[in-house]
Amino acid sequence: MVRFLRHYGTLMGMAAIVLVFWALLPQTFMTARNWLNITQQVSMLTVVAVAMTVVMVVGDFDLSVGSMASLAGIVAAVLFTLGFSVPAAVAVALVVGLVGGVINGVLVSVIGILPFVATLATLTMYSGAAFILSGGKTIFGRDIPQSFGDFAKSGLSLGSLADKPVVLPWLTVLALALTGAVFVVLELSTYGRRLYAIGGNAEAARLAGVRVTWLRLTAYGFTGVGAAVAGLMYASRVASANPTQGEGLMLNAIAAVFLGMTLTRHGQPRVLASVLGVLVLGVMDNGLTQLQVDSYVREVLVGLIILLAVSISALGRKAIGRR
Amino acid sequence: MPHLTLHGVVKTYGQTRALDGAALELRGGEIHALMGENGAGKSTLIRILAGLEVPDAGQITLNGAPVTLTSPATAEGLGLRFLHQELQIVPALSVAENMHLAHPYPSYGLGLVRWGALRASAKAALQRLGISHINPTSTMGDLGPGDQMLTRIAATLVDTKGPRPWAYVLDEPTAALTGAEAERLFAALHTLRAAGHAILYVSHRMDEVLRLSDRVTVLRDGRHVSTKGRDQVNRDQIIQDMTGRDFATLYPPASAPKDGAPLLQVRGLQAGILRDIAFSVNAGEVLGLAGLSGSGRNHLLRALMGAVPRQGQVLVKGVQLGHSPAEAWSAGLAYVPRERRAEGLMLLHPLADTVALPHMPALSTAGFVRRSWIARLVARLAKSVRLKAQSQAQVAAELSGGNQQKVLFARALAGPPVVLLLDEPTRGVDVGAKFDIYATIRGLTAQGVGVVMVSSDLPELIGLCDRIGILQAGRLTQMLPAAGLTEGALLALCYEKEVA
Repeated sequence: MVRFLRHYGTLMGMAAIVLVFWALLPQTFMTARNWLNITQQVSMLTVVAVAMTVVMVVGDFDLSVGSMASLAGIVAAVLFTLGFSVPAAVAVALVVGLVGGVINGVLVSVIGILPFVATLATLTMYSGAAFILSGGKTIFGRDIPQSFGDFAKSGLSLGSLADKPVVLPWLTVLALALTGAVFVVLELSTYGRRLYAIGGNAEAARLAGVRVTWLRLTAYGFTGVGAAVAGLMYASRVASANPTQGEGLMLNAIAAVFLGMTLTRHGQPRVLASVLGVLVLGVMDNGLTQLQVDSYVREVLVGLIILLAVSISALGRKAIGRR
Repeated sequence: MPHLTLHGVVKTYGQTRALDGAALELRGGEIHALMGENGAGKSTLIRILAGLEVPDAGQITLNGAPVTLTSPATAEGLGLRFLHQELQIVPALSVAENMHLAHPYPSYGLGLVRWGALRASAKAALQRLGISHINPTSTMGDLGPGDQMLTRIAATLVDTKGPRPWAYVLDEPTAALTGAEAERLFAALHTLRAAGHAILYVSHRMDEVLRLSDRVTVLRDGRHVSTKGRDQVNRDQIIQDMTGRDFATLYPPASAPKDGAPLLQVRGLQAGILRDIAFSVNAGEVLGLAGLSGSGRNHLLRALMGAVPRQGQVLVKGVQLGHSPAEAWSAGLAYVPRERRAEGLMLLHPLADTVALPHMPALSTAGFVRRSWIARLVARLAKSVRLKAQSQAQVAAELSGGNQQKVLFARALAGPPVVLLLDEPTRGVDVGAKFDIYATIRGLTAQGVGVVMVSSDLPELIGLCDRIGILQAGRLTQMLPAAGLTEGALLALCYEKEVA
């Protein structure tokens, strides 16, 4: 029973959540429009969670993704005010993400600081840098090029339904593409399999010829870029940049990966499982908002769901350990 | 004087009979050595004494009255104390506090500690052991391993309510100690003995045992072989009691080593404590490495793999070897590490992942893993090492020790290897799997693979190897043919320097 719950508990829970919202919101919840909306709402979180999965596969994690997302958005916006073109500003912001990630990687992998401590320190540093660059203000309005903001507002036309056009938002497309890319890297490439090997047993991997130090460092690079992409997506969506706008991403991304880990057989982080974890959080948010549940109550409920899923998973592992 | 006896003790783990009629008698006022080869049952007997294992059969009596040992608490209640190789200490606390970890601190009430009384209590206990050079206010972590051990012993002498200890079990106490530290320990043991305490001393170090002990008990294959007084024992007698069996039929026949250029050449290798190591291995040859723990035998294999820094020349098929594990694997060295769970397996990953990991370059195209190649390779190797697993996707944690070891052998075979480096290849493996592993090793040498094998199982070294090198304190002191060697002679060679 416990093992059954452990393997299928999260999936059944997700189905239950969807059914409950469907029943309570018969008109609006189970519509193509709402689901497309959900995919857009969760697209930034998806990118961060997928990027977070990369470091968590190695057995590390990264607390600085949220502030890196803010910083990347600010960097791009500041460059816009200086007259940079959209591609140039975006490229620089992505480089900032890469550099920030590599700094985390060097601290954790080369110098040997615990991931929690190292990325907690860089979290405040990147956040501080975002405030310094922006002067603590939101950058918006005419400073942001029209085309940058339009990206998030438009999408891939999928035809029409009941005389209304159905559009797959570009943000969703981007999140899907990045998820696919990370899936290919982690699951199919030798690089990804080596990352999993390090997470499975770092010493064994080292003795088997895996360059553990270097690969851990590169994993952080991935995560830094992922965080920067998410920050740019957010900035595009609200057509502005604010030094605190990435704040909620880090905790939610870690929560999503943990939720995903309850889905996999041996509790490993997997890309697609993380995306399911993101969807759980996104659907909860969407449904509860439509039901006009107070946002503080929402937070309590989301925390409870995470605890429930992880508890069942932990109990299941104990039961297996006793066998 | 109190005395404790164990008689006819039997303990089985699954198929393995760890103890099969073990016996021991321990009296107050004696130092009693317990000896036996690896796997003879010493640790199991100690675990039973400590209440960590319950025997399947046998009687235990204290002062003639039967007792049962069902938990560490009961063992402590009977006055037994255990000092393991890994001491339980809190490095950041003071000596005095470490000595009171198991006792209530003297207190004013409300949890306010009387620090003066705590120090005095610690000091008194140290003095009972004849120790004056350790300051109770020192930080435990600043003490050397010898003083830490003395502190741990003294901690059992702290004045407290409850049954007083009378018997101490020390497992390889001098393994990490310098000569001077060991002398202090011996002096403390003599003090304890003079006070009527009993000491059960477990050690591989023959010279210590001969010097210290009043009596020596030898176990072999879980059975009691002999208990003799100090005047009746000598080194040869103990070695004969510890070994004395014919293993010839266990081992597959050797395949004659081939002449020609050696597969592996090592010259002037230095790494850690290793100095001036030089040897070579020919095709079809099994070279064994024997030595006491701490002689550097495991380090040597890690140095060859490039897992630890090394100096000197290592040539595989005449080509200088690089300094990383990746280069070692790709040059054809294949490594089966000593600690299979910690150093070899990814326990929660499909076993095929562990097998494929060092061979990724050969199992991929343009950076992408070829799963079908891996599946085919693992299927072939699993058959050749006689791996018993449900599927390639089964996780290593679910396999028995023997089958886990076979996964690592499969990994080592995948290359295919030029030279196989084996560290304790049959450690913690049941007899059936041992046969399979021996057959695998000899099957490989028949195909011209060279093997370097470290083992503390001496019959295994003699039975399987063509030549055996002896490592002593980081130096390769002897290299001799295995044929005609007896366990006694080999053990004597390992001990040679210490006894001389």
